[in-house]
Amino acid sequence: MITITDVCKWYGKPEVLKNINVTIERNQTVVICGPSGSGKSTLLRCINGIEKYQKGEIIVNGISLNDPKTDLYKLRRNIGMVFQHFALYPHMTALQNICIAPIKVLNWSKHKAEKEAMVFLEQVGMGSNAQAHPAELSGGQQQRVAIGRALIMKPQIVLFDEPTSALDPEAIKGILDIMISLAKSGMTIVCVTHEMGFAKEVADNIIFIDKGEIIEQGAYEEFFINTKTDRAKDFLKQIL
Amino acid sequence: MTFAYHYNWSVLWSQPYITWWMHGIRLTLEIGFFAWIIALSGIFIGTLRSSSSGWLHFLPTAYTEIFRNVPFLVQLFMWYFAFPMIFPDTIRIYINHIIGFNYYIAIIALGLYTASRIAEHMRAGLASIETMEYEAALSTGMTRYQMYRHVIIPHALIIIIPTLTTEFLTIFKNSSVAMTIGVAETTFTSYRIASTTFHGLEATTGAMTIYLLLSLTIVKISGIIESKVRIPGMAGR
Repeated sequence: MITITDVCKWYGKPEVLKNINVTIERNQTVVICGPSGSGKSTLLRCINGIEKYQKGEIIVNGISLNDPKTDLYKLRRNIGMVFQHFALYPHMTALQNICIAPIKVLNWSKHKAEKEAMVFLEQVGMGSNAQAHPAELSGGQQQRVAIGRALIMKPQIVLFDEPTSALDPEAIKGILDIMISLAKSGMTIVCVTHEMGFAKEVADNIIFIDKGEIIEQGAYEEFFINTKTDRAKDFLKQIL
Repeated sequence: MTFAYHYNWSVLWSQPYITWWMHGIRLTLEIGFFAWIIALSGIFIGTLRSSSSGWLHFLPTAYTEIFRNVPFLVQLFMWYFAFPMIFPDTIRIYINHIIGFNYYIAIIALGLYTASRIAEHMRAGLASIETMEYEAALSTGMTRYQMYRHVIIPHALIIIIPTLTTEFLTIFKNSSVAMTIGVAETTFTSYRIASTTFHGLEATTGAMTIYLLLSLTIVKISGIIESKVRIPGMAGR
């Protein structure tokens, strides 16, 4: 589904990403973790081409991001993204935030988009907040809207960039529950997070990045119990 | 022998002055409104400058910098006196015979000048929108055009409404400069009445009151618009 081969990125001298190699299969949930500034968000943002890289290749769904003929805009319809700080459009209501992309990008009727959006909002317990603007919603509610905005496009992959880092503990649980059920429904998920409970429950692969390099990767047992590198052991000691 | 000044406020409402005033006010309103329609192209110019590179960046940049850095009076003279000179004689004669040429020039010059100012407000508005909002729009599959058209520009316009109000006020006040090329708008009228009746104080007070009432009306209306489009939950707007 996603193949990342020898990807390197640098802004100046220090490399932000060094020879990253990752393969993500369909229906998998992959967690990327690592200390701040390690390049994990950058890697995630390379997958939908919002961030550029200088070397290597990323292939999503058989389409190479390197190919100048690739229509990145079209590709992104299949890749939803959820941001740490929600990134909602502050001048639109929750419903408008969710509906604008399918209406404008997929040419859905307003009626169809709003119907689908309402189904989602009801599911996540926000039916009564459909007409609220982002600034009137709590962090957890905003992130629910942001997830709805990504999911209404019916993407094959959803990228989560630290979706719970800006939330309070109670809201975190609500968002993680949504993500877990999404993962269990078979969505391909790539998630940058420090929520190891989430990783334990649904991650097929955990990637540990430090200073732009993949230090270690493996399934839950392999990563948490049979941790190989000292660097990863140190990191786990800090966050667990 | 005393030289006491005898007030004569009737120059504000008696004939023929009231007809002159009405004509002046009509021209002020027309020049302001039509120039404003041209000036709104600044929204597009500012967006293009912010969003492009190469020629599509250079052209709106050059436009903005030329038009906002030359005094409006000089621009007006440019369009009115110098511009027709670049044409061959036959066309120039035709231009000189256009009825109300000075009126059209006033509208165009004022519109183009204000467009450059609106372009800069637009650029500031766009710059104040967080990068992640752009990225979020792109991540949903929108093209850059769709992102600007449906998400970013509407947001920026809400942000810059207060400065657009200032520009809208300014366009009516700047229309007074059109008297220098002989457009009989409000300021011209007060000047004309002053020189016919020697009641400059009353005539100028009249012009002042007209501009003040017009501006206050606009302020009031834009206040209503602002509260209509205010983003709920946002503080201090």
